[in-house]
Amino acid sequence: MEVSRRDFMHIAAIFGLGAAASGCMGGGVKPASKISLKDVFDFKETGNITLLHMCDIHAHLKPMYWREPSTLISAPNLTGTPGFLCGEAFAKHYNLEPSSLDAYFDTHVDFESLAKKFGKMGGIAHMKTYLDHVRRTRGAEKVLFLDSGDTWQGTGVALKTGGEAIVKAQNHLGVDVMVGHWEFTYGKERVKELIEMLDAKFISQNVIGDDPFADEYEELIFEPYTIEERNGAKIGIIGQSFPFTSTANPKEFTEGWSFGLRMDTLQEYVNELRDEHNVDCVVVLSHDGFSVDQEVARQVSGIDFILSGHTHDPSPKPIVINGCAIVIAGSHGKYVGRLDIDARDGKVHNYEYKLVPIASNLIPANEETEKFVEELYAPFADEMYEVLGKTKNILYKRDTFFSTFDQLINDAIIDEMKCDISFTPGYRWGTTVLAGEDILMDNVYEMCGITYPDVYTFELKGDRIAKLLEDIADNVFNENPLYQQGGDMSRLGGVTYDITVSNSSGKRISNLKVGGKPIDLAKTYIVSSWGGNLQNAGENLQKEKIRPVYDVVRDYIKRQKVVDVSNAGNVTLLDYECGCPEKGSMSC
Amino acid sequence: MLRREFFKTLGVVAAATAVVPSMSFAAGAAPKGPNEMSYEAALKAVTNGKGATPSDKVSLKVPEIAENGAVVPVTVEVDSPMTEKDYVKTIHVFATKNNNSRCAAVHLTPANGKAMFSSRIKLGQTQDVAAIVEMSDGSFLSAAQSVKVTIGGCG
Repeated sequence: MEVSRRDFMHIAAIFGLGAAASGCMGGGVKPASKISLKDVFDFKETGNITLLHMCDIHAHLKPMYWREPSTLISAPNLTGTPGFLCGEAFAKHYNLEPSSLDAYFDTHVDFESLAKKFGKMGGIAHMKTYLDHVRRTRGAEKVLFLDSGDTWQGTGVALKTGGEAIVKAQNHLGVDVMVGHWEFTYGKERVKELIEMLDAKFISQNVIGDDPFADEYEELIFEPYTIEERNGAKIGIIGQSFPFTSTANPKEFTEGWSFGLRMDTLQEYVNELRDEHNVDCVVVLSHDGFSVDQEVARQVSGIDFILSGHTHDPSPKPIVINGCAIVIAGSHGKYVGRLDIDARDGKVHNYEYKLVPIASNLIPANEETEKFVEELYAPFADEMYEVLGKTKNILYKRDTFFSTFDQLINDAIIDEMKCDISFTPGYRWGTTVLAGEDILMDNVYEMCGITYPDVYTFELKGDRIAKLLEDIADNVFNENPLYQQGGDMSRLGGVTYDITVSNSSGKRISNLKVGGKPIDLAKTYIVSSWGGNLQNAGENLQKEKIRPVYDVVRDYIKRQKVVDVSNAGNVTLLDYECGCPEKGSMSC
Repeated sequence: MLRREFFKTLGVVAAATAVVPSMSFAAGAAPKGPNEMSYEAALKAVTNGKGATPSDKVSLKVPEIAENGAVVPVTVEVDSPMTEKDYVKTIHVFATKNNNSRCAAVHLTPANGKAMFSSRIKLGQTQDVAAIVEMSDGSFLSAAQSVKVTIGGCG
């Protein structure tokens, strides 16, 4: 479990990187091939089977930049626990060397200078090289590749092909089993079509028919689990799709399907696998979110491993709760988790885990996969590679309250829709564009390529807006992970507010201002929003203005030519002194 | 609204009602009107002012986060032998912050064999759902859980 620390101390030493990272800028790009395979691939082979794991790649087939959050605030009882760690607190918790490859992948610290040094992250061509390496050295017959979902959605090429390009990529990579969340936003019928094309098994114990007039009423929609035999070991894998799909995304996509955590039936399937099928190891392949899965491990007994997803946390070490080891492998294709297990005679004897960074400058691309990706992009290349403009400062997603790319989207919406307030959702997927770089149409799709992209403009009363903000804040900051939905705060344009996260539900937000003036609770404001269902709460929808958000953003960037978004947020945090507090602390 | 909701709820219950001999309903989340009753007042009326004791014997199954506040599935099951000497007389379901907190009162006899009731209720906002159970010895047991009703919005 100390592998990553040792690895990257080694890499840091070779690069001659010390604490004074910013001084290394410019001269840093090295042909790192000599150390890459050895150190990144180094692993203490253990036991008789290997599970490879990815989650939340959000359809990113090509290498990209992805800056981890510089603000990740939670209720005080969760502060600084895995799932709510970022920046220096993260580095300290996991003993990361400053300016190491790990620090670059896992934290926002010195991101821009390290980006120049270490280059882009992920990309399935680089991932394929690693997967092939493990299958070759370990023996393919011992290896399973599991995918925690949020795979089919998140880029232009995914959207344009209705998810098909990504299913082809999964087949190419050799995914064995998956679960879903954003997958469902292609709609039930399309999901079924894509599953037909998919080589992997799509499993979920927590998706049940709830239309009393349908044949599938009270029936499982997918197989709840699968039993895979590898190298003489029987591995029971139970699927857990995102429990709150029907509240986080429009209900019409999954009409007649009910989600939920369903821990009671999860326990029944664990027992069934153990008692009736005598498996050697019980794995839950999950899209619950990292903190929710810690709660699942507390309440459901007999699970050996949870391979988690949804909340996009990189977790260099497993956390063990109630005898269950929980891992999660970041997002956007940045990592593959490798879990070697010694599973014999109905139990797990030993295991070894490493979160492997898919560093595109260190791990060479598989040429065949690179060609395959270009073929997938070819029909859309003219649109995707169009340069819309440049950015003066870094454009990033993530952070609890504010991020520059979201601000750019809000600026674009306010400019076109002439609204008082703009709501952009607090999804955790997106992209990062470095300062001075071109913004491509591909980047815009990476930020807002969804199947329900319309920007709605409507009227909403001040008191309703205030209540909505409290409601959203409670979804993010509830002290009980089971009442969270795993996103960040919605991003608001035209609004500033103060927040006291540790206050009780409904009492967190103060000093709420619209256009610089205190909000008038009785006044009606013009609000624009996309990616949620806020429009259902509004009145006098301006139908003639409805337009996809990616078109609104594209046209705005083209008009601006160079965008200059400041990193000064619009939210003042009253009870924490910094964005990445340590455990038990309100400061850093 | 009230009428439609009433029939909608009744329709769903009728489909799964083998257990239930008789019941009285007052649909939840109605606008303020003659049926308005707070949880405190309703609890007092039902238990004759005695109140109820939280008990592991009462299992209340509701989602943590409602998929749709208008139809929240609720299942109450009581661990009881259901004999002449010891049985569950009534299962009450309350939405504690609805204007009319009373959702269902299901009267049982030992002939029911099993003390279980399942339906869907409407919740006007995030609140506790409570099951109050009257036992044949005159005691009252309870279970409650918070259900979040949210417009949602993250992913």
